[in-house]
Amino acid sequence: MSHVLLLAKEEWRFWLRSNLALSAAILFLVLLVTTAILTTVRIAEERHAREHHQEKAESTFLAQPDRHPHRMVHYGHYVFRTPSPLAAFDPGLDSVTGQSMFLEGHQQNSATFAVSGASADLGEFAWLTPAVVYQLFAPLLIILLGHGAVVRERESSTLATMLAQGISGVTVLYGKALALFAAILLMLVPLLVSGGAAVGRGETVLAAILMVAVYFLYLSIWGLLALFLSVLSARRATALATLTALWLALTLLLPSLAVSNAARFLPIAGQIETGLVMLSDLRKLGDGHNVNDPAFDRLRRDLLKQYGVETVEELPVNLRGVVAEYSESRLTDKLNEYADRRMAMEQKQAALLARHGWLSPLLATADASRAIAATDLNNHQRFLKEAEALRFDFVQGLNRLHASKLAYIDDIKRSSDQQAEKRTRVSGENWKLLKDFRFKPDDVGTRAGNAWPSVLALLVWFAVLSIASVRAAGRIRL
Amino acid sequence: MLSNRLRLQAEELRVIRGGKEVLKGITFAVAIGEVYGLLGGNGAGKSTTLLTFLGFLDLAGGNARVNDALVSEDVVAARRSIAYLPESASLYEHLNARENLRYFLGLAGSAGDDESMEAALDRVALPAEARDRRLADYSKGMRQKVAIALAILRNTDTLLLDEPTSGLDPTAIDEFHDLVRTLADDGKTVLMVTHDVYGACQVADRIGLLRDGRLVGEFSAPAGGRIDTEAVHRAFSSREAV
Ligand SMILES: Nc1ncnc2c1ncn2[C@@H]1O[C@H](COP(=O)(O)OP(=O)(O)O)[C@@H](O)[C@H]1O
Ligand SMILES: [Mg+2]
Repeated sequence: MSHVLLLAKEEWRFWLRSNLALSAAILFLVLLVTTAILTTVRIAEERHAREHHQEKAESTFLAQPDRHPHRMVHYGHYVFRTPSPLAAFDPGLDSVTGQSMFLEGHQQNSATFAVSGASADLGEFAWLTPAVVYQLFAPLLIILLGHGAVVRERESSTLATMLAQGISGVTVLYGKALALFAAILLMLVPLLVSGGAAVGRGETVLAAILMVAVYFLYLSIWGLLALFLSVLSARRATALATLTALWLALTLLLPSLAVSNAARFLPIAGQIETGLVMLSDLRKLGDGHNVNDPAFDRLRRDLLKQYGVETVEELPVNLRGVVAEYSESRLTDKLNEYADRRMAMEQKQAALLARHGWLSPLLATADASRAIAATDLNNHQRFLKEAEALRFDFVQGLNRLHASKLAYIDDIKRSSDQQAEKRTRVSGENWKLLKDFRFKPDDVGTRAGNAWPSVLALLVWFAVLSIASVRAAGRIRL
Repeated sequence: MLSNRLRLQAEELRVIRGGKEVLKGITFAVAIGEVYGLLGGNGAGKSTTLLTFLGFLDLAGGNARVNDALVSEDVVAARRSIAYLPESASLYEHLNARENLRYFLGLAGSAGDDESMEAALDRVALPAEARDRRLADYSKGMRQKVAIALAILRNTDTLLLDEPTSGLDPTAIDEFHDLVRTLADDGKTVLMVTHDVYGACQVADRIGLLRDGRLVGEFSAPAGGRIDTEAVHRAFSSREAV
């Protein structure tokens, strides 16, 4: 054990006396700290802006004057998704999925980007987040530090001197690994700070720890790759070239191949095509504004029978309101059917992409990182579902108001009779049926569960490389 | 009984390197307290022979023993009992002499105190002003001196020295030969590789002549005397086995 420590300390002394290692480490730190600050500020601004917009949208809705409830159905409402605390480290899908949505009767709008100046400032660089710096650039620093660990000593023959002192190749490996893992831990300090800040914003400590653990695992995999090749290579240049090629393949080539694979094997139907099919499906459901649409004949017959009356005017409820509620419900079922199908397909795509994590640790890490940060597809889809639930809830609330508070006679005369129109207005007090919308990230247990398959892939990578490295070191050659 | 007095034994050693048989069945032994010189031209297999005692090479045949134990059975034990001076002094360029000694002695598990370290550096006559400079600034001879100091400080029973005098000036070479004799008188066993006939004859109790992977002759010093340089020189220069 003392030998391992001694070897590790010596490796550190070598790094500290080598300009290249030091400058690379400083460069990495600057890049990381810069992106961390920029991303944190951006997400904080977005969070603030969206919370503000949400409150404003709610108070605006509540402040609407007395009017016909169906006008409020069309007036609509906005919901905003506030970023999760760890989004400041890994915004994940948040930067490509919409964060706000306009809710109104008779349709499901798609999420759009909240209008907020903050992200526009960074323009093209918004993709450069702390998570991406760790995923993409940290391996380069590890390669730089680790590739020479053993092969450097082999080239200068100091490996013979070391081994001749009576230590085994495996001890050499452990020493070098300890040095490299200590460097990795140091590289994770900014993430630790980021995680601490997220805890300050309401994140659980467990989620922050999981995040650090995932990146430790990821960077350790790169460390082991570097050490493994360093043990095997005869020339330092060979080790460096091999590792650089691996970096290109595992962090750039494979991920982009995986993305196009996922898109090719599981294509999500184009917006316009599905839009057209859906439209014709929806037409069959009838127009909820028109009580005479044949689609509602049966509803009317059932109602008359239920209340034992002959005409719609005699009904104790407003047929227009009832039809509106009925049609909204049928329409929503149909829309949800399409939405569910699309979401299921998106889930399949995401799962296929995540399975490529068995080939590229970067993909596994990115997947686990998004899951733990609550910036993954699951959270986005839950936002869509919760927004839709809110939409359905207030639209139907308004429709029931329409059915119960408004007389049918007044309702059909209201465009020609001013008095009747006045009577179809309900008090603005009723708008309070709108519920508050505050999107919360999944609880940490759910997120850990979502991250698990990718974490497993990382663990297997780690285990296989550990075993391979120890075996190679056991048969170390001069 | 005899074998108990032997430190190093090579029995029909065969080694293949780079697809070529470089040791073709070598047999010799070095007794406790003996200085054995392994003499031969470039590429004869001298360095390779030393490496087999350290377990750095796979054997194609035969055995290498240290203290009667097969090297292949416990490589680490063999290495612990041997101080090895590699062919080219292979120490860290980014460290100074003291740092190098402290580090490698630490790996050997024999943390040398500062006094014995200074004493060893005195013994190899490394200038005091150089001891805190990084080895990157050293001459070949100075590096060799640090490496020799390391070998002494290991304080093992056996020393394997691969061309220890290369890079040293004539004075330093003489001093080194005196050092080797002193070590042997203290009971240390020295196996020393060289292509310097004169030097070998000066210090060795016995000399083995290696040519093209074969041991082609052995010379012993007469009681109280030195090996006859002329005879060895003749054998070294001739193409024939002795
Ligand atoms: N690392 C190696 N790989 C392949 N062949 C080698 C290696 N080192 C030495 N050899 C070959 O082994 C033979 C003996 O080399 P060596 O023991 O170094 O000779 P010496 O020390 O007597 O000059 C030479 O032919 C040399 O070319
Ligand atoms: Mg040699």
